[in-house]
Amino acid sequence: MRDLLKRYRNLFLAVALLLSILLLYSYNLRQRTATTFFERAVLTFAAPFQAAIDGAADVVNDWWQHYFWLVQTEQRNSMLEQENRQLRAELQQVEEFRLQNERLRQLLAFVDDLDRPALPAQVIGEDVSSWARTITIDKGTRAGLRAGFPVVAAEGVVGRVIKVAPNSSRVLLVTDASSAIAALVQRTRTRGVARGQGAKLTLDYALREADIQIDDLLVTSGMGGVFPKGLPLARVVSAEKDEFGLFQRVELVPTVDFSHLEEVMVVLGEDR
Amino acid sequence: MRGFLLYLFLGMLAVLLRTSVFPLFFSPGFCPDLLLGLIIYLGLSENMLRAVLLALLLGGMQDSFSGSSLGLSVFVCLSILLLVRLLSEHLNVESPPLLILLILGGTFVQQFLLATCLVLFADAGAVLQIMLPTLAEQLLTNLVAYTLLLILILRLQHLFGYRAGLAGLIYQSKRHGT
Repeated sequence: MRDLLKRYRNLFLAVALLLSILLLYSYNLRQRTATTFFERAVLTFAAPFQAAIDGAADVVNDWWQHYFWLVQTEQRNSMLEQENRQLRAELQQVEEFRLQNERLRQLLAFVDDLDRPALPAQVIGEDVSSWARTITIDKGTRAGLRAGFPVVAAEGVVGRVIKVAPNSSRVLLVTDASSAIAALVQRTRTRGVARGQGAKLTLDYALREADIQIDDLLVTSGMGGVFPKGLPLARVVSAEKDEFGLFQRVELVPTVDFSHLEEVMVVLGEDR
Repeated sequence: MRGFLLYLFLGMLAVLLRTSVFPLFFSPGFCPDLLLGLIIYLGLSENMLRAVLLALLLGGMQDSFSGSSLGLSVFVCLSILLLVRLLSEHLNVESPPLLILLILGGTFVQQFLLATCLVLFADAGAVLQIMLPTLAEQLLTNLVAYTLLLILILRLQHLFGYRAGLAGLIYQSKRHGT
């Protein structure tokens, strides 16, 4: 027995380590909204770097999109072009502020309708994996955020906070496969559960006889207590009924364009 | 200790690039997974204890920046590291095409382990519908990204006349004293 243990010591150690990590994962799965010390430490340490990289990437991206293709023109008309560029840069900045102002106004108007206090936040990062759909925002426990708070944009529901660190939080998007939100079709009040499918959503448990049309708007039903009732969630792109079965297959696209999400509002839990 | 911290820094950089820079230019399936390369490199070049510790920390780091619970990426990173260490005994890992093949194999194993764990533990059936179509995208992206990276590294090595920096060569020299 001792020889066997000695001979396969490394193998036993590796298997034991892998099993203990699986146990850790299984334990953490049960407490999905609890942020572990390790996660909090990593997120706290990375938040300023992430914000800085995000800012720098925005500047480079802006420069690339607006100036890179003008290099040849600049060579021909260097003086005029330089002046022009400065003016363009200023105009661009003003335009950027105007657009941001507009977006924030829309967000505020949207949140005012909710009759709940809300906190604006900036999106500073996306998910590190290609299969999960989460984003990182620049507000955390220091700003009063807690796991479970709903996050919205002017166009509708974004998701809910799942992990919080002092200065940043992770938001589970409605398109994530583990996201399920009680929803209803605004026109007919048909109930169902909107489940994330990556880029789209599906409406589960929509009864076969329910009247669901393409382009119908789905709103949150308020069941479950996370999202306030009536927030725009998605639009119907297809509704199919099989020959048999209790439910119909309904495919949805979220009202929020997650690829261009810059600012969001975190709806704080308590009623105003 | 300095090398240990350097690996952690590189891991953090890879994660931050993946979360804050790549999404500006590529869709989720087309973002290269730089952390995977780092794990494979660790498996080829570092001593076992150090590599395991780093794989645990880098996996935890990846979990912290992902929608998954802590432990999933740790398990996947450690499994890949152990597999690479096991394979490196039998392969000529100093061959650049073989390193690319290791990356492709690593991507495949990574996605397989993720899918298995998610289905077994988290009952997340819909994740498979997201993962399967992106598997081909991820393989292609990693193939292109790591080929370019390897070409760049080899060019730089030629330029500076330093050839022993390839993971396999370091491993072989540490292992067999050549």
